[in-house]
Amino acid sequence: MDLFEKLQELRDQGLSEIDKAKTEEKLNDVRVKLVGRKSELTEILHSMKDVEPEKRREIGQKVNKVRDLFNQKLDDAKNEIVEKLVKEQLEKEAIDVTLPGREEHLGTKHPINIILDDLEKYFIGMGFKVAQGPEIETDHYCFEMMNLPKDHPARDMQETFYIDSEDLLRSQTSGDQARELEKHDFSKGPLKMVGPGKVYRRDDDDATHSHQFMQMEGLVVDKNITMGDLKGTLELMAKHVFGQDRETRLRPSYFPFTEPSVEMDVSCFNCNGKGCSICKYTGWIEVLGAGMVHPNVLENAGVDSNVYGGFAFGVGLDRFAILKYGIDDIRDFYTNDVRFLEQFSKEER
Amino acid sequence: MLVSYQWLQDFLKLDQEPHQLGEKITRTGVEIAEVKHPEEGLKKIVIGHIIDCEPIEGTHLNLTHVDVGDEEPHQIVCGAPNVAAGEDVVVALPGARIADNVKIKKGKLRGYESNGMICGLQEIGFADNLVPEKYVDGIFVFPQDADVKPGQDAYEPLGMDDYIFDFDITPNRADTLSMEGAAYEVGAIVDEPVKIENVALKADGESWTDNFTAEVDPKLAPKFNLRKISGVKVADSPLWMQKRLWNAGIRPINNVVDVTNYIMLLTGQPMHTYDARAFENNKLVVRKANQGEKLTLLNDKEIDLDENDIVITNGERVVMMAGVMGGLNSEIEDDTTDVILESAIFDPTLIRKAALRHANRTEASSRYEKGVNWDATERALDMAALLLRNNASGTIDEGVITAADEKRQPDVIHTTVSYLNKVLGTEISNDEVGHIFDRLNFEYELDGDNLTVNVPARRWDVSIPADLVEEVGRLYGYDKIKSTQPVLAETHGGYSETEEAIRRIKAIVQGQGLIEAISYSLTSPEKAVSYTHNPKKLVQVQMPLNSSRSTLRQNLMTGLVDAASYNMARKQNQLALFEQGRVYDFENDTYNEHEHLATLYSGNVYFDNWQHEEEQIDFFYVKGQLTNLFKAIGVNLSKVEYKAEEIEGMHPTRTAGIYIDGQYVGMIGMISHAITRASKALNGSEIYGYEIDLDTLVPMIISPKTVSKNAPKFPAIERDLSILVEESVSNQAIENVINDNGGKFLVNLRVIDVYQGAHIDENKKSLAYRLTFLNEQDTLTDEVVNKAMAAIDAELKEQLGAEIR
Repeated sequence: MDLFEKLQELRDQGLSEIDKAKTEEKLNDVRVKLVGRKSELTEILHSMKDVEPEKRREIGQKVNKVRDLFNQKLDDAKNEIVEKLVKEQLEKEAIDVTLPGREEHLGTKHPINIILDDLEKYFIGMGFKVAQGPEIETDHYCFEMMNLPKDHPARDMQETFYIDSEDLLRSQTSGDQARELEKHDFSKGPLKMVGPGKVYRRDDDDATHSHQFMQMEGLVVDKNITMGDLKGTLELMAKHVFGQDRETRLRPSYFPFTEPSVEMDVSCFNCNGKGCSICKYTGWIEVLGAGMVHPNVLENAGVDSNVYGGFAFGVGLDRFAILKYGIDDIRDFYTNDVRFLEQFSKEER
Repeated sequence: MLVSYQWLQDFLKLDQEPHQLGEKITRTGVEIAEVKHPEEGLKKIVIGHIIDCEPIEGTHLNLTHVDVGDEEPHQIVCGAPNVAAGEDVVVALPGARIADNVKIKKGKLRGYESNGMICGLQEIGFADNLVPEKYVDGIFVFPQDADVKPGQDAYEPLGMDDYIFDFDITPNRADTLSMEGAAYEVGAIVDEPVKIENVALKADGESWTDNFTAEVDPKLAPKFNLRKISGVKVADSPLWMQKRLWNAGIRPINNVVDVTNYIMLLTGQPMHTYDARAFENNKLVVRKANQGEKLTLLNDKEIDLDENDIVITNGERVVMMAGVMGGLNSEIEDDTTDVILESAIFDPTLIRKAALRHANRTEASSRYEKGVNWDATERALDMAALLLRNNASGTIDEGVITAADEKRQPDVIHTTVSYLNKVLGTEISNDEVGHIFDRLNFEYELDGDNLTVNVPARRWDVSIPADLVEEVGRLYGYDKIKSTQPVLAETHGGYSETEEAIRRIKAIVQGQGLIEAISYSLTSPEKAVSYTHNPKKLVQVQMPLNSSRSTLRQNLMTGLVDAASYNMARKQNQLALFEQGRVYDFENDTYNEHEHLATLYSGNVYFDNWQHEEEQIDFFYVKGQLTNLFKAIGVNLSKVEYKAEEIEGMHPTRTAGIYIDGQYVGMIGMISHAITRASKALNGSEIYGYEIDLDTLVPMIISPKTVSKNAPKFPAIERDLSILVEESVSNQAIENVINDNGGKFLVNLRVIDVYQGAHIDENKKSLAYRLTFLNEQDTLTDEVVNKAMAAIDAELKEQLGAEIR
């Protein structure tokens, strides 16, 4: 058999071995055997010294051609194997993306604080400072300074939690007004504050009463504040909280610390003023109390009521939340059932 | 106060649609809670005359024939005990609609056809407590004098065609707790003159004043007047008066008592009548009650009088709780003939407290406590006397006994029109201001800008210029005031630094997945100081609603544990809650309030999942969350120390006090078994949490100005260190040694393993640490790190007897 035939045979055999090698290891063995240093192809080249010189060149060319072919086929085969492996691995790694994710606890803000934070931000934007007074308040600040006479029913032990004859759990945040009025230096400009916080009243807890709830006090005092300013301020706030399309009305009311005193109603957001069970068929829902600061309150705090005047308002934050979210039992705020609390996360601003 | 639209028309011209009038009154004066029209919703209810009435044998029923204005009488079966021939009654015809939207159809009862129903007042919508006593359990029978015809609608004769305004008054507007007062108010609102009748009385009996004495302490009763009416015949009041009473929410009783209620409704002055037989010694004394005195009231309630109750006595016995309710022993009875009539003013506070003390608020007491018209006392007395003569055929004895008569000067207010306009933000003219006071029936003088107003006694709520601002503002119309924004010098709004810091802390814990709770500040004395590092003196309220809400909390944890209990009782066991609020104590002779933050965790880190990742929340999970919080707000973690500590309510070996720079800032740990096992809801759950005193923490973190550092350019070197120590050696002790000897390039130290068990000696534990060394200025060499490690090894051996592994 001459070298050409042998080469042909080597070529055919080699290709069939490459074809049969299905793993990387086997393929490697085949590679060593076919194109390695000790392969038959190499041997053919080594044995060329016995061949006539004119044929050497031709054989050399043919051997190289076969080796190139082997290398080509070996690379292809390797790629095929690797590709297959990758594919297999990816298939193994496949997940069902429709299975649910692992959920952790989701933090939420208390609904009353959602309302409060929103109002605070609103008023801060209008230049109000946020002031917080003590919850254990004195009779002096809670009542005396706020123009509630000694025999006023609110000062009764039946109504207010007294701790001793002078100290009590504040029944209103109004004491913050008196404290700020005393502190404020009017030569440095007007006083604009809101004062939020917890208040306490001697009410038995039921669906509509709570011995603890949250209020926010507002106060603006300067030289030329009018009732029109009060009306404008309250209207904007009510629209901010309850919607721009709400209508509002002021009605005469009575608070010892304001004169005139008013209550504000907004048109019922359930029936739009037509009358329904939520607004008790009046078309209006009472939302807050307000008024022009009573001269006695200013004088009690050492502010000259002939020069200064202003307005004050008080917002029941629980009430705002009840109205805004349609809550029907005030106790829900304080029992802290997580199923109740969680639902407000989307209300945060 | 329920105000009848028809009755109002006695005083002024009214042509407004009642609901619109109600809205107008609400916007201008007094809130109208409701405008009621009693006949609304009723249909085919007419007057009937019972022609005959025979009992149906073997039943409690009667077979009647009733003339209802049709050609033929209706046969109606009636079960009422007081049905009888000759009565004028209320009949619901077939097809009628009665109260609660019930329809009446023809029917058959015991084989007898029944074409309609004879009604009791409750069946057509009257409240039980308004129906005259004798008709409560039967049908209503019109009195003889009633001008009714069979077949006519029953609404008008019963006053049900009226519109009734529910005046929901504020305490300052007690002047509208009378028809006259309401008329003045409505007259001012609709700008119509109001006619209030005066009274001229001529006595027709003998003088009685010499034979009767009244002793009154004017401090208790600054005004006190009596008249005597003789020879009354007690019977039902005329129908017109009964209608007015029940439409005002008062049950008709008899022609004597009804007069006093009627005059009270008319004038606002509470009145009282005594049977003169109660004053057998012809003597009446007003004084405070003595200890041990008792009185049975008209409502059969026997009360132990308090030394601060004002009482009316006959010199020996108490016959009335003044201003609140009469005694049964001086009640007007069917055989009463002579009557003592009282019109007085009592001290408002004493009356309010007495009514409250005995849980016996009445129409009279609620008027006294809010204040009554000082000028109406005598007039009301005379009006009542006249009505008793008319309605009860009495004789008015000559003379009035006036046992107290304190005078009051009417208020005169000086102000200016420009002041009113300045406060309101309006430009109301002098004429218009004058017209408003005309509408109010206030006397006034206008001299240029100067305004002087004489306030009538009925409006005791008006006494200073600001009160006039209100009167002018509301009648001008709050709707007409232009909405403006205050034009002021610029102010800088915002939170205090402390509040900002607290808000940041809340945002972080909320971001860590905690739900915000708000609990009650008042709790039980035990809970108030549970979970508390160093309990202070309790702060308790004087009259708690109950013992579990008697004491101010000194910790927030107790509220969160209550919340956990509430949730777990409802099968909500995966909990992550926080609360930020105040705790309260008494120390250094003052009440103190401290801002705290508390968290509570229970259950697993993840909710139930298909991968069974069930990492249970434990001490170290919670501590990790707290560490993250500290890191986020800029607490220097190397200054934070945890010391095992025992705190009431907390697990004694799983609780630590938290110290920063040696200062106590809070505690962290597990709720004790004693608490979780004793509670059915908590059911032994492992509950962890921490509580931080923000008053201490916040000043440590306020304004830590960050000066930016470049990220390090050189790589760090990590070394692991594994040691074996006695079980009693704490991690803190080991970390202290490592930190003290690690040199300046040791930047981080982390525990990566703790082992105790079979592979090592008992009483020993193995710990592994990962130390990170970094030189920010230069490449760190192994040599430097090796040196630091050698120093650490040596000191660990030396100080803690550690074996380096």
